[in-house]
Amino acid sequence: MAGKIKTAAEVVGSIPDGAHIALGGFAIARNVIVIAHELIRQNRRNLTVSQGVAGLDTDLLVGAGLVKRLIIGGGSLDRFGPVHCINRARETGSLAFEDWTSLSLCFRYLAGALGLSFIPIKSLLASEILDRLETGGAKGEVARMTCPFTGESYVAMTALTPDVSFVHVQVADQEGNCRIDGPRWENEEQAKAARRLIVIAEEIVPTAAIQEQPERTIIPAHRVEAVIHQPFGAHPTAVFGRYDYDAAHLKLYVEHSKRADRIGDYIRSYILETGDHAGYLEKAGGAAHLDRLKADPARGY
Amino acid sequence: MSEIRATEIMVAAGARELKDSETVVVGIGLPQVACFLAKSTHAPNLTPLLEIGVANMRPMHTPVGLADSRIFYRATCWSGFLDVMGMNLHRGVVDTGFLGALEVDRYGNINTTLSKEEGRLRYFNGSAGGNDVASLAKRVIVIMRHEKRKLPAAVTHLTSPGFVGGKSREELALRGGGPHRIITDKAVIGFDEASHSAALVSLHPGVTLEDVLANTGFPLQVPDKPATTPLPTAEELRLLREEIDPNGVYLG
Repeated sequence: MAGKIKTAAEVVGSIPDGAHIALGGFAIARNVIVIAHELIRQNRRNLTVSQGVAGLDTDLLVGAGLVKRLIIGGGSLDRFGPVHCINRARETGSLAFEDWTSLSLCFRYLAGALGLSFIPIKSLLASEILDRLETGGAKGEVARMTCPFTGESYVAMTALTPDVSFVHVQVADQEGNCRIDGPRWENEEQAKAARRLIVIAEEIVPTAAIQEQPERTIIPAHRVEAVIHQPFGAHPTAVFGRYDYDAAHLKLYVEHSKRADRIGDYIRSYILETGDHAGYLEKAGGAAHLDRLKADPARGY
Repeated sequence: MSEIRATEIMVAAGARELKDSETVVVGIGLPQVACFLAKSTHAPNLTPLLEIGVANMRPMHTPVGLADSRIFYRATCWSGFLDVMGMNLHRGVVDTGFLGALEVDRYGNINTTLSKEEGRLRYFNGSAGGNDVASLAKRVIVIMRHEKRKLPAAVTHLTSPGFVGGKSREELALRGGGPHRIITDKAVIGFDEASHSAALVSLHPGVTLEDVLANTGFPLQVPDKPATTPLPTAEELRLLREEIDPNGVYLG
């Protein structure tokens, strides 16, 4: 294939142990499942992971024991449950944990994307989140500051510049021009803050289609290193306009993730033994099952 | 019509706190339900925002959470954190932040991070946008179940600030106006203007003051004659049961 099209296995092969990776999912929407699975198959270790609101992708990486340091604003699988693997790791102290907020992490990525060394914010003040950041693992990343012009109090935060950002999008061309339909949380700031940017697209369209509606391009090709084409690449999480979350599979995941002695069974049977994403999708129910998740184009779900 | 559920009294009370033409950042669950009820009744020009980057959605089906595509339906704008939480909340133009909580204390400080049960720490979802909303909205409404352990003297973890230590928001250098109401399944609680401490506003019908005091872990200021929270109207109940949450995903 021409352009920047690569496989998930090729891309993950270029990620070193110890890298800081940023994931573009939110709770049970547009998770970079393809990447999480491949990182687990290739056993990439000692990762730093950052994400605004962690979902199944980050929970899996933590459950697989690949994460050394976690920088998140929150985490949830919505009504399906909490991010059990992440919460358990916090309770047992098995990883370094930085607890921020959605906006403070977005601002930190924005500073990274703008080439600023720091950014001030009016959140975090008077909270235990700030106390813990100041005294714990984020020491040196936050400081109280006063505006030199107005005297107003702020929290100054260092820029966040991941080694690699991964974002799952509905549509890209083979050069990496990306459309993101529906809300996009901190995707754009996170993507543009990174040193390397990888996109995973449900559909690859000709560049001519992008040129017809360039106002829909959220991430332009010149910032993108590689494009992975993977329909149902975010399963079992939802992709607006493409498919719904897989409620049965999310329940099955949570049944495994809530117990330290069962998450390994899920990882083995759905990730390690399936070989690649096609194998995973077959194991997760195959084409007939996936067809039932497809969105009504008029509603988007 | 079947018996009125406590959750229906809660969301109706929540809806009545919202004024027409306000801008409201809503959290997952009962805040969403209360917001849609207000918009379907007295506040048609209310603009609900979701932290993920959604303005003025009009869902047709009950969503399971903030990231459920059902809640994006018929929105008038899709953007992201930077727009909704940056250029609206941080800008200071959001009238009300409407949140759920694990714990709230007498000064309206919110915990969504951590619980301590029999000495064992358990972690929950953390802030997500909760700290940003509580820090930055002009006023904050919390909706939650009324249990002694959920309304402690001091929160186990101060995720989102209210009037920390009884201090004013100016003293705390916070931009938003702070907590305004705690709406539970027993009562509506406000905050004393001078002491910034929790003060009873109204008891739900059939709930006694003794019941509320016995199930509140912090000292609660009580007026001489507490008001009674109005029941939802027949039309509000119809909207909740037939349109907003027909399967009882949130109303139970």
